[in-house]
Amino acid sequence: MDKILRDKKAIFIFIAPALAMFVVILVIPIIQMFYYSLCDYAALTPPKFIGLANYKKLFTNDSTFRMALKNSIFFMIFSAITQQIVGLLLAVFLTNIPKGRNIFKNIYYLPCVLSSAALGLLWAFLFNPKIGINQLLAKIGIEGPLWLMESKGFIVLPMWVIAFVALWQYVGQNMMLYMAQITGISRDLYEASYVDGASKWKSFRYITLPLIKPMVVTSLSLNCIGSLKFFDLVYNMTQGGPNHRTDVLATELYAEGFNYFKYGYASAISVVLLVLCLVVTVVIKKAVKVETYEG
Amino acid sequence: MSKKRLSAVLSAAMVLGLMGAAAAPVNAMADDTEEITWMFWDDLEATEDLISKGYADVINRYNTEYEGKYHVTPITTNLEEYDGKLNALIAAGQAPDVFICNPGPNMDVYVNADVVMDLTDILTNQEADWYAGFTDGIFERMTYDGKIMAVPTNFAAACVYYNTEMFETAGVEVPATYDELIAACQKLQEAGYTPISCSAGTAWCLSMIAGYMCDRQGVDLAAIADHTANWTDENCIEAGTKLQELSQYFQPTAAGDSNDQATAAFYNGEAAMLVQGSWAIAQINGNNPDFESKCGVFQFPGIEGANDPNRMIVKTDNLLMSKTTQHQEAAIALMKMFTDETSQKYTAEVGGKFPIIKDLDVDYEAAPAQLKYVQDIMAKATGTFGFYNESLASVEAGDCFDNAMVDIFLGNQTPEEAFQAVQSFYEENVWTE
Amino acid sequence: MEKTKMIKNPKKKIGPAVTLIYLFLAVLAVIYLAPLLWMLCVSLKDNAGVMASPFSIPTTFQWQNYADAWSMGKLGIALINSVLVCGVTLVVSLLFGSMAAFAIARMKWKLSEAAHTFFLIGMMVPVHCILIPLFVRFAKMGLTNSRFGLMLPYITFSLPMTIFLLTSFFRSMPGELFEAAAIDGCGIYRCFFKIAFPLCRTGFFVSGLMTFVNNWNELLMAMVFISDPNKKTLPVTLTYFVGPYATNYVQMFAAIIIAIAPTVIVYSLFSNQIVEGLTTGAVKG
Repeated sequence: MDKILRDKKAIFIFIAPALAMFVVILVIPIIQMFYYSLCDYAALTPPKFIGLANYKKLFTNDSTFRMALKNSIFFMIFSAITQQIVGLLLAVFLTNIPKGRNIFKNIYYLPCVLSSAALGLLWAFLFNPKIGINQLLAKIGIEGPLWLMESKGFIVLPMWVIAFVALWQYVGQNMMLYMAQITGISRDLYEASYVDGASKWKSFRYITLPLIKPMVVTSLSLNCIGSLKFFDLVYNMTQGGPNHRTDVLATELYAEGFNYFKYGYASAISVVLLVLCLVVTVVIKKAVKVETYEG
Repeated sequence: MSKKRLSAVLSAAMVLGLMGAAAAPVNAMADDTEEITWMFWDDLEATEDLISKGYADVINRYNTEYEGKYHVTPITTNLEEYDGKLNALIAAGQAPDVFICNPGPNMDVYVNADVVMDLTDILTNQEADWYAGFTDGIFERMTYDGKIMAVPTNFAAACVYYNTEMFETAGVEVPATYDELIAACQKLQEAGYTPISCSAGTAWCLSMIAGYMCDRQGVDLAAIADHTANWTDENCIEAGTKLQELSQYFQPTAAGDSNDQATAAFYNGEAAMLVQGSWAIAQINGNNPDFESKCGVFQFPGIEGANDPNRMIVKTDNLLMSKTTQHQEAAIALMKMFTDETSQKYTAEVGGKFPIIKDLDVDYEAAPAQLKYVQDIMAKATGTFGFYNESLASVEAGDCFDNAMVDIFLGNQTPEEAFQAVQSFYEENVWTE
Repeated sequence: MEKTKMIKNPKKKIGPAVTLIYLFLAVLAVIYLAPLLWMLCVSLKDNAGVMASPFSIPTTFQWQNYADAWSMGKLGIALINSVLVCGVTLVVSLLFGSMAAFAIARMKWKLSEAAHTFFLIGMMVPVHCILIPLFVRFAKMGLTNSRFGLMLPYITFSLPMTIFLLTSFFRSMPGELFEAAAIDGCGIYRCFFKIAFPLCRTGFFVSGLMTFVNNWNELLMAMVFISDPNKKTLPVTLTYFVGPYATNYVQMFAAIIIAIAPTVIVYSLFSNQIVEGLTTGAVKG
């Protein structure tokens, strides 16, 4: 048996296809990306090494990039906080109702499997002042704001709107993760705590919360990386407008790379994005200390 | 053992696929037909645009007339991703034989990358008759160091379209000066109309108005390019201030409306004026045929005591030939067909754009009514200039200008701040040498 | 507080707290379903009707909108492309992924943990990072306008999750199974295809589902790599309605409905399995 499982040739054959794809499609391009980010490289001219000039320009002299970075970070923080809280809240609610758990769960999860390109268009039109919810508001005498067109403020209104739509679409994911974790907790623990006279809140605070902690790492990482990579909703709701006020890193990268063909500059943006993703993952891993947990 | 082979074959196939797929030839015509490609920014089958439909006719005519000799296959994309896809093809060594391109920095990219065929010799020697037929001076923006790099297919001029009914009801006359325009807007607003429909969501639409303001104020782009003038000069700031003043009369959703939405608001009778290129005629009449009779046209008003008020924004569509084409004659035959009398008459009478050849007998009775008005305005024009975003140092510089203008409109920046942003861009990227 | 008293006996009676929760959940359910139903309503009206009263129930049904959206938006061909690209991606990524996962989970070699970690790091890499280098290379190879070219990154980005999930599935299988097979003279390939493969059905279902949903909805890569209208996938085709048809609301909504209908139908039929499956995937992830 052992011999069969140590068959080097077989191992190679099993690993080779996946490894080859990984190296060719992922590893080599990432190395190239680092190199391109140090180059002045437009689509039709070969890359020319210019050192850190792209990065220097990004951080000292590109207000659109700063806006995109600010929006991406806002979006990440907003998503992390709201999705964690709302997701957990829904999970707790759903695990505490006697009937109808599945139907509610399935409804809230539905947008997660739908195309965000399609949902982005839908919401763009719901917030369209001519045919959208402003018409409803008008009926009760409220003049709605121009949801996707306001351009004032540190974080503009359209960015908040997009963030809420993202919450609407993706919170089901967190809800499901937490539900799976909570239903995994033995009922006896709760029964025992009630016998001891613990309130609902106390049993939540001292049983549920500690036991779902490992899931916080997973769902928080998913939230944060997911929101840093965010592209579809922004692209289909505002295309970064008005005037780049809702650009995020991904749309900015797309614009620099495929509207202006500044491959080198866009690569520098992708390096920033990659570094952010890695840093965030590490920080979350370090910040949320997880005791060994038997799942 | 077959399993092992399967895996080996799979990974080999994948690697081979990566390496080998490049060499897939497309034009494997059995006979001697010379196969060429033409790249264009609209889907020729699905389009509603009358100019695009005219281009589709040209392609059909070409393939019928030269059957057995030449054949052209169009490669189409949508407008937004056109440049990206074209660049990808050129970088891959699969440049289309003939492709369409905007003038200005957009075309500079291809000329500077040395992928465009120099047409000077062909036009001035080999095909002198063809060259002689073009409108005088039309090649000016396509000439680089004395070399002609493109052939135009049509041109359009930007004017102000207005709803004659609304003007009458509000008791407004066609304004000739900026002050009269503001007064007209005021009156229209009092009469309950939205005076101007404009799209700031599609930045170049707003930028067109800004371009007119700048030119009317006497901004000299050539001087700015040489750095003998600055974006922070008084005339620029004044243009920005006027843009800001005028933009108070835009529809409330201007900040987010796209070009199509803003144009639709005009032909659906929701606004009294629209500043657009003459390509909008086809769009207006196509979507709302009843509107043709109440749609008037006037030239963008002048500013008293400033620059010549008879200068017009115009824009050509151009055909470029790839430097690497193997079928030069087939490509020239195609270009000629785009500029022959049949297609040029179509351009004017159906498409609502201007022909680029001389001595063409256009039946203005058959053409959209608005084209005649534009034609009359053009007849008085003393000079032309390009879209500002297509006349600056680079595509990015154009976008920088557009964004600055949108910021003025949105009220996020004062005219001083906005033009300072353009100025800084020029200081860092353009005036460096 | 009243609430605390009720909680002692949470299962017997429906107290005010639970009623409040139900109320909240119901309102939320409306927020989730109303936009989708609104879209359905709009897609059956004409443009004038939408402008006049966007929130009313349509009186006459304009089925023509769907026919127009289908033909003008080239949705038929887009649907085929999406099915093709996602289908091939699904099969290939499951095959490659399960092979690698099997080697990592069950076979004995020094670098198996390292290989595991290596593939996992792939999950953290945003696709944006490889977009430009890959586009440049694919353009040179003539792969930018082919479905095959799109499948390659799709497969690659599906691999980390597939490998991760299947590794844990393979690891949870009892080792005796394979030992018994080996004693019967089973080769390693037979072990994999005849024993591990069939036993891992849940694992395939879960990772296949995640792969399919992710790739079915993927927009950015499809947008960058494909320009030929006859090779575009559904999400890309939808973005076209942003531009040229921006004022033709009804057709756009019909197109969106057509695009999401397959997912909604499949989801409503199998929602329990899908939700469970995806959660299993995410929990393990």
